[in-house]
Amino acid sequence: MAGIRIDSITKSYGGLTVLKGFSLDIADGEFVVLVGPSGCGKSTMLKILAGLEEASSGTISIGDRNVTDLAPGDRDIAMVFQNYALYPHLSVRRNMGFGLKMRGTDAGEIDRRVADAAKILGIDHLLDRRPRALSGGQRQRVALGRAIVREPQAFLMDEPLSNLDAKLRVHTRAEISALHKRLRVTTIYVTHDQTEAMTMADRIVIMKDGVIQQIASPEVMFRKPANLFVAGFIGSPGMNFLKAKAQASGGGATAKLFGHDVVLPVANADALAGKEIVVGLRPEHIAAGPGQISFTVTPRLIESLGSEQYVYVDLPEEHRRETVSAGEDEARRSALIARLINPEPGPPGETLTLSFDPARLHVFDAASGEAIR
Amino acid sequence: MKRKATRNALLYAGVVLTCAILVFPIYWLIVTALSEPSQLRQLPPSFWPAEPRWGVFGQIIAERPILLWLGNSALAAIGAVAISMVVSVLAGYSLSRFKLRGGQSLGLFILTAKMLPATLLVIPLFGIFRSLELIGSLWSIILAHATLIIPFTTWMLKGYFDTIPRELEQAAMVDGCSPLGAMVRVILPISAPGLAATALYGFVLSWSDYAYARTFLTNAQGNWTANLGITTMKGEYISNWSDISAASILVALPILAIYLVLERYLVGGLTAGAEK
Repeated sequence: MAGIRIDSITKSYGGLTVLKGFSLDIADGEFVVLVGPSGCGKSTMLKILAGLEEASSGTISIGDRNVTDLAPGDRDIAMVFQNYALYPHLSVRRNMGFGLKMRGTDAGEIDRRVADAAKILGIDHLLDRRPRALSGGQRQRVALGRAIVREPQAFLMDEPLSNLDAKLRVHTRAEISALHKRLRVTTIYVTHDQTEAMTMADRIVIMKDGVIQQIASPEVMFRKPANLFVAGFIGSPGMNFLKAKAQASGGGATAKLFGHDVVLPVANADALAGKEIVVGLRPEHIAAGPGQISFTVTPRLIESLGSEQYVYVDLPEEHRRETVSAGEDEARRSALIARLINPEPGPPGETLTLSFDPARLHVFDAASGEAIR
Repeated sequence: MKRKATRNALLYAGVVLTCAILVFPIYWLIVTALSEPSQLRQLPPSFWPAEPRWGVFGQIIAERPILLWLGNSALAAIGAVAISMVVSVLAGYSLSRFKLRGGQSLGLFILTAKMLPATLLVIPLFGIFRSLELIGSLWSIILAHATLIIPFTTWMLKGYFDTIPRELEQAAMVDGCSPLGAMVRVILPISAPGLAATALYGFVLSWSDYAYARTFLTNAQGNWTANLGITTMKGEYISNWSDISAASILVALPILAIYLVLERYLVGGLTAGAEK
């Protein structure tokens, strides 16, 4: 096992730059998730890390070795692919032992390690089957098994759960996390699913258009998003954004939200006065009934999931932003979503009082999108 | 329900008619081979000879060096297919996997070569083989057939490799293979159905050639291929069509046998299970 240092990696295809100065230090044994929308460069970065694509510039070190120019097989990494990429002509046993065989490990040692890995993953009864005789979940485990028998310096995983059904995905997600805790092998995991990122990662690297937007733990990513993109990407449903104008008021800053002068939770209030801002409010931070800041709405739609409800409300015109950023749902511009836990049932069309705590608000510069704290 | 039954009936009628059209020439070849030459021109024709000449095949093998001709055809076809497969596996794989500068034009160039009629190449090839002193040698048609087969097989294999997910060789490379090693250890084994179909296609192309053999081998009787040999059975004034048909059946049998042996690969779907 080893740490990984990625230093100023860029990747261009002709005039198109898909990675722009990607730098990241990954500690030994850390589980890092690269997350972002399609085309953000996360899979390209993983392939460069694996040696399957060449970087246009920059260096990669695994442990103390500069591996930038090494072939994939010489980097001592193992990879789990989105479509598993099991060798269809080999049995599960030979699939798992293939990498060791290529490295000249003796047959007895291969058998022992394959048997150990198969036991860990609960696939020891499948060792003599071909991949086509396995279910999706079993193939997934074999792909993981093929990676762990190698005992590599690092695991690279490229959206390994995206071909599983929802239930199996949740189950396997937990298994991969448990496996990581057990083996403590440095893992770089790519996904477009923020839930996977939040539940599995020690640290999340969130990317957009080939640029890192923020590197932080899931907790920090959720509580202190660096900009509007991160704030909108992390969390489900995503954060509500309300356009407003900041005003100075008694040493602090306020903004008029739903007719109330709401004190904004920012340290440097003076710099904010008169500035166009975007106020972020997470759906789960809106409560039913009166509170510190209350407002009455007529829900457009209520979705009930049993234990919780999503209440969709038309956002007042003055709070709607003119444009939404790339990858953001246009419908979110005009809607506010409240996520109410164990709510009282009520038919749509009736007015509803909602409230929020102003300390929970996030403030962003409307022009740059950067968070203001 | 009734509509479905009518549709099925029409479908079966179509299949039976197509099979009848395809099988009739083969049936007629067999009837001709087994009939006395004198019965061939009778009207109305006989659809099965009263006394089939089953001994005709043995008689032909005894009278003519047909086994030698078959052996020459097999040598030429195996040689041409071997050369073609080595070249077209590498070429087809490269065209499928690597983004080369001008790669697309190169592919189209090969496609153009495929469109040229074989007879167009006879004269330049004759010139080349004469200077290499290969006229009359089996090597002449091995090389000539390879020029005919390679464009076809390269495109067939490129198409086949295109269907194999790239992640398979990427996985093999992460597992420690070189790019060539990944091709040999992973891609070729799972391409067995495609390779078998392509090789068989090349074999049939070579086996059924007449023009090249007629041009390059005429003066070397010991190297005649089966097709060339059969044409010598046709006389200037009298042709024994029964014997020619019987010899044609003997020449077709090896191809039939190969089809039967390779059928498993031709219809196989070995890549199933590689992916999700």
